[in-house]
Amino acid sequence: MPATIIKRDGTPVAFDATKILNAITKANKAVEGEPMTPTDLLFVTEKVCAKLDARALSHVEEIQDVVEETLIQYDYAKTAKAYILYRAEHAKLRNAESWLMDVYKKLTYAPAASEDLKRENANIDGDTAMGTMLKYGSEGAKFFIDNYVLPKDISAAHQNGDIHIHDKDFYMLTETCCQIDLIPLFKNGFSTGHGHLREPNSIESYSALACIAIQANQNEMHGGQSSPNFDYAMAQGVAKTYAKEYKKAFAAYMQIRGELTDGETASLTKAILDALPMRPRMAEAKAFGCALAALDYARLIPEETPPCGRAAQGQADQDANWEPDDFPKPRRAQMPPAAIRELAIAAHAYAASHAQKSTNRRTYQAMEAFIHNLNTMNSRAGAQVPFSSVNYGTDTSAEGRMAIRNLLLATEAGLGNGETSIFPVQIFKVKSGVNYNPEDPNYDLFKLAMRVSAKRLFPNFSFIDAPFNLAYYHPGDYNTEVAYMGCRTRVLGNVYDPARQVTCGRGNLSFTSLNLPRLGIEAKGDIARFYELLDAMIDLVFRQLLHRFKIQCAKKVRNYPFLMGEGIWLDSGALDRDDRIENVLRHGTLTIGFIGLAETLKALSGRHHGESEEAQKLGLEIIGHIRRRADQKSEETGLNFSVIATPAEGLSGRFVAVDRRRYGVLPGVTDRDYYTNSFHVPVYYPIKAFRKIQIEAPYHALTNAGHITYVELDGDVCGNPEAFETIIRYMHDQGVGYGSVNHPLDRDPICGYVGVIHDVCPRCGRREGEAVSVEKLKELKKIYPDVPDWE
Amino acid sequence: MPAQNSAAVQERGGRMVGKSVGFERTRRITGYLVGTLERFNNAKRAEEKDRVKHGA
Ligand SMILES: [Zn+2]
Repeated sequence: MPATIIKRDGTPVAFDATKILNAITKANKAVEGEPMTPTDLLFVTEKVCAKLDARALSHVEEIQDVVEETLIQYDYAKTAKAYILYRAEHAKLRNAESWLMDVYKKLTYAPAASEDLKRENANIDGDTAMGTMLKYGSEGAKFFIDNYVLPKDISAAHQNGDIHIHDKDFYMLTETCCQIDLIPLFKNGFSTGHGHLREPNSIESYSALACIAIQANQNEMHGGQSSPNFDYAMAQGVAKTYAKEYKKAFAAYMQIRGELTDGETASLTKAILDALPMRPRMAEAKAFGCALAALDYARLIPEETPPCGRAAQGQADQDANWEPDDFPKPRRAQMPPAAIRELAIAAHAYAASHAQKSTNRRTYQAMEAFIHNLNTMNSRAGAQVPFSSVNYGTDTSAEGRMAIRNLLLATEAGLGNGETSIFPVQIFKVKSGVNYNPEDPNYDLFKLAMRVSAKRLFPNFSFIDAPFNLAYYHPGDYNTEVAYMGCRTRVLGNVYDPARQVTCGRGNLSFTSLNLPRLGIEAKGDIARFYELLDAMIDLVFRQLLHRFKIQCAKKVRNYPFLMGEGIWLDSGALDRDDRIENVLRHGTLTIGFIGLAETLKALSGRHHGESEEAQKLGLEIIGHIRRRADQKSEETGLNFSVIATPAEGLSGRFVAVDRRRYGVLPGVTDRDYYTNSFHVPVYYPIKAFRKIQIEAPYHALTNAGHITYVELDGDVCGNPEAFETIIRYMHDQGVGYGSVNHPLDRDPICGYVGVIHDVCPRCGRREGEAVSVEKLKELKKIYPDVPDWE
Repeated sequence: MPAQNSAAVQERGGRMVGKSVGFERTRRITGYLVGTLERFNNAKRAEEKDRVKHGA
């Protein structure tokens, strides 16, 4: 027996024969039909030790070779095979472990600029301490999931690039996203897990709490968060603010013009306002004024109202403790009812106008703060800001309109020095009868939304009139208005609970994407073969989604103190802290995605759907097939299986890189550094905007878990409001669900110019990196007030 | 701006700003906006470079 053995890393350790005994025992237990008694086990172990002595072997790999050889020699073939597998498995893990350590080295020592791994998600700063910490955790988790959690074939399918399991690092932890209804959340206040917040009472606190809710929920999920009805929620804050502003202004007017004391003002104002059958409301100022004029002021003043205290006090006393408030004023009781009425009517005129103006100003500031907060507030240990989206545009109340208008205006103005805000993603909901036609109540806001979008890229536009969205719509019920999350996720239909086909409180549970181009390549032009391969891959993805769903279902409310504990997720409010969330999770979606339809069609037919009608027909068949499979799976399981046009930020390069290694450079398929996004016509392909919309629109109807169509415009077209509107309207009319216009948006931080900058800034004339004189900037500021101050 | 010019402006009492300050280029990827192209991953940089405008 050797005294020491040499480990793989070269270090010597004391030899221990029981380790060999244990390994053989384990291998034997793993097989059937080849039982070994303890004596047999000892016998083989002794034989191994004897051979090691005879051959003077001491390296761990050599020892393992001898174990294999000895098992085979004594006819334990099955046990030998199990032992070999066990060895291979461990070797794989060891390799993977060193692979993980390599990843950690890259994360630690390479700057993000040179390391793609650190730029997987453009909105996470991979160079910061917390960004790196997040990546350590993420890469370690992926390693764990690949090697210890996923069924082997699924893990292999992910690793070799057949499929992509999104947010795999969160596999054991949580769900993707949620559409938060702020209205019930704000009622009676809520707790973030780090303290209780009271019900907000002004537009400022509505805006602040909206940010906090988004942040708190983001910290419990791995995707983004959205407010599907932002206008309706903020409208309540606007209404509260207006009522308070009104009362304050009304009282102030009464006090000054009526020369009343503080006490008299308070009691008289209260008596008048309480006697009215309505509260002050923005849209009802006129009716409120009429009601005020119609009051019986003689009856309003109760006789027992005490006279003001000053009259009873001695004059000397007053002189000694003179306060501005105590200045002798005529007593209210002495004022005839007719005069009070006149005073109240005048106070109303002032209060209504003042409240309108100051509520509007405060709403603007609150919306500005909302945007600022969402662009600066830390989440996930400071590595990023929350991925947030807000949907709005359909609330036609005066308050809702005020919120929408001011959010748009604040977005148009930009952050600080006119920078474009990155968050929240803004989505303007377009609906005929509400804002689409010139005679619609919110048409002015639709126009404004387009003006802002042409300047700031946001808002995007969602279309409730698209037939697949309209099917769920009930006028006046925001819960039935489609909302889109962040980049494109859509959750509306509900197979699990058809009575709850609603937006609020629901989201995606997880999604996994197909490498569609690879199937196209593998089919070698044989369409039937393509569908065989596709079906097998869909089966695998469904199995994987259910595997993950099972893990998610085992979680309890206590694992999500905000999302579930505060009842944000649909029906979670009825659960206790230790209840499993399985049943409420069924409201969410299990989603299959795809990337590179264009490359798939190229591989299958030589042309993509932008180039040929035939290819378009085939493209629709393929995506239609995936959708049918998802619908069937929903039917079969009662779960919301759905299809998404995958956003694919990190994925666009990963799949093509693997496929190019495997199949070489195939023209139009693997010859670029990315696969085309979902069903999009390739970005490099020259095509008219209208044609692109026409081609992509039918895919929106098929991708029920989300989709988006982009049109790229140059600065000139974009600067033309009619052209911009024509494009948005065309999207609406073609049945697009969600769309937006991309245009170059550059900014010179020195002179504040926002627009297209080629080589030279059109405003100050400098090139990138060049200096410009402060004097010149001062001159420019006379023409353009948004030039930053440099003194 | 060449150093000479800059010196000339300095002589007239002008201060210069903006040296080695770049332009900000905001773009949309997947649906989210990104404040600077530097944060794009390699594939997305390539994709952004290839984008052609669609005439109306
Ligand atoms: Zn400039």
